[in-house]
Amino acid sequence: MDKFHIVVCIKVVPKPEEIAVDKETMLLIRDGVRSEINPPDMNAIEMALKLKDKYGGKISILSMGPPFFADYLRVPLAMGADHIYLMSDRNFGGADTLATTYTLAEGIRKIGDVDMVICGEESSDGATGQVPAGLAEWLGINQLTQMDEVDIDLRGKVARGKREIAGGHISLEVPFPVVVSAKTASNEPRFMDYTIKPWAFEEGRITVWGAEDVEVEDDHIGLPGSPTIVSGLEQAPERARKRQFLEGSPEEIADQLGKILVQAL
Amino acid sequence: MPQNRTIVDDNTWEELIELTHGAAAVCFQCGVCTASCPWGLVKEETLSVRSYMRSAQLGLQKNGNDNLWLCTTCAQCEAYCPRDVNIADVFRGLRYLTWKQNQPHEGLPTLLWSVYWNNNPWEQPPSQRTQWAKNLNLPIFDSQQHDILYYVGCTASYDTRAQKVAHAVVALLNAAGVSFGTLGEDEPCSGEEVLSVGHKHYFREMAEDATKAFQEAGVTQLVTTDPHSYDAFKNHYQGAIKPKHYTQYFAELLEEGKLKFSQSLDRPITFHDPCYLSRHNGEIEAPRKLLNAIPGVDLVEMPNIAEDTLCCGGGGGRMWLETEAGERFSDLRVEEALTTGAQILATSCPYCIACLEDSVKARVIKDLVVMDVAEIAALAI
Ligand SMILES: Cc1cc2nc3c(=O)[nH]c(=O)nc-3n(C[C@H](O)[C@H](O)[C@H](O)COP(=O)(O)OP(=O)(O)OC[C@H]3O[C@@H](n4cnc5c(N)ncnc54)[C@H](O)[C@@H]3O)c2cc1C
Ligand code: SF4
Ligand code: SF4
Repeated sequence: MDKFHIVVCIKVVPKPEEIAVDKETMLLIRDGVRSEINPPDMNAIEMALKLKDKYGGKISILSMGPPFFADYLRVPLAMGADHIYLMSDRNFGGADTLATTYTLAEGIRKIGDVDMVICGEESSDGATGQVPAGLAEWLGINQLTQMDEVDIDLRGKVARGKREIAGGHISLEVPFPVVVSAKTASNEPRFMDYTIKPWAFEEGRITVWGAEDVEVEDDHIGLPGSPTIVSGLEQAPERARKRQFLEGSPEEIADQLGKILVQAL
Repeated sequence: MPQNRTIVDDNTWEELIELTHGAAAVCFQCGVCTASCPWGLVKEETLSVRSYMRSAQLGLQKNGNDNLWLCTTCAQCEAYCPRDVNIADVFRGLRYLTWKQNQPHEGLPTLLWSVYWNNNPWEQPPSQRTQWAKNLNLPIFDSQQHDILYYVGCTASYDTRAQKVAHAVVALLNAAGVSFGTLGEDEPCSGEEVLSVGHKHYFREMAEDATKAFQEAGVTQLVTTDPHSYDAFKNHYQGAIKPKHYTQYFAELLEEGKLKFSQSLDRPITFHDPCYLSRHNGEIEAPRKLLNAIPGVDLVEMPNIAEDTLCCGGGGGRMWLETEAGERFSDLRVEEALTTGAQILATSCPYCIACLEDSVKARVIKDLVVMDVAEIAALAI
């Protein structure tokens, strides 16, 4: 077997407190909004890097989104990923999970020789959590979702995953290739490596693919490929925090807190 | 890798020399640092400072040793070191090596990511940096119009307790008729916490970016809330920024007659010197001048003051790490404050306030309140 090859799918999302929706188009307003890498995707990157630390191999990063995503994709490059692919085309825009997973799956096919795909558990903006499973369906491969840990057996060509549940955990084992979703906060993402960061941000190459560069059917991508219509969206009323401070000794405070909690039940 | 294994290699040695400017080279292993380190007051087996200096001299790196993260960079040891070793800098250098090997203390990568994504170490939204001042209508700094930039800093911007200090600073600036502005949401994080946990390369990058931002805004002079950012600007920003801690600035205004205290405060007060004002920057007078200028104030000193101050335990990145109950320097400090009969334990650093207040609460001390000098001064205008 050649080098173990992991593709990590990452999405760039607006910072949660800055999310606003265009009432007409029902799309997120991205202009003038601060963004970040979807936090669970940082856990996905760390999960991949841990496997690379242990077994070697290479990591490709894949994202579908507008050109400005590119700046953010340099972050995983500085953390230790090897290749960056950005699928960016106006025709990809407005995709629901069906069109998103179709497009990303075609990207993964084009990258080629992929043993494992790792996604975050869910995005902080769309938050459907359907992309990992959808990808596995389009690619016709196994899936290990909401994993706290994964390990691989290169000889047996299997991936083993562990999912914590109330009162225990579930262990799963599936043959490669496999799509994994990393549970949010399942690890602590390492900070960027400053021996590679200058290169990653100044010279690191990002491969950008448009619709023409991948073998996609026009009616499967973007808005035409998206049967889902977001028909309504409402802003949840903001709940003012009471910022109530309890006074007293730790025991007294615990006592008061207990009473408040009981009252709230 | 076994816990006690050490690595010797020329690259590590060279890198350490570069990171620490060869600070450890002159150490002659007398051990005075170990003896003077406050960890000896709370731990049965104290932090062996001397042996870390030895490691740095030899380019040896101890693995799996969390003691490396104990150092609060309080510089108590430096005050006694007969060879003038910049010990805190050596610790920061040793810490950087762990970053390089992807083995920093748990929780600290999260701290750095917060600084990266949020421009503050508190995992708070950058868009809410000015929330603390939403009713104050503070102008954005304009070099044509304003005398100084008030650098609020991350902790005073986001921490509800420290916000009160920022409010007091603003009240004092207004009372003295100073024309000032802030950088609002665009105020850069000083990076002091990044420096303190030893990520020298990220800190350097932050300092360059922040310097650029200050220069673009036409800032040459600024006044900080916290001594840690003040220290970073003064001693680690390559001279690009001329900072003053607010105690220094207000002490000047006092002398010039621009700031006056008319209300009296008949309470015995003791003052805890923050390490980053006193030991690191030799500023002992300014906060005392302010307190003594308040009518009625009776300043009663603790035994350990000025260059001999006892660290609160919050520096060197310890604010973001757990210190076991029973091992907190601040517990000793509030007990020391009680012996003076003071009713107010004054200090002038948001980290000191957090640590000292925690200790006052945990020890259920009813007759001692922790206040910032700015808060006390604001009561007197
Ligand atoms: C407010 C809102 C509501 C929406 N509601 C729906 C709906 O009900 N049904 C529907 O089909 N679509 C919906 N969408 C669209 C949906 O968000 C997008 O299709 C999106 O591209 C994928 O879904 P997700 O964000 O829910 O991802 P999730 O499935 O929550 O994301 C899981 C993981 O998949 C990966 N991933 C997701 N998107 C990308 C990407 N663009 N590039 C690379 N990796 C990625 C990441 O690893 C991520 O952590 C909605 C969008 C918004 C903004
Ligand atoms: S006090 Fe100074 S010279 Fe003595 S061991 Fe410590 S660092 Fe070395
Ligand atoms: S700087 Fe303070 S905590 Fe660190 S070794 Fe010296 S005395 Fe100890």
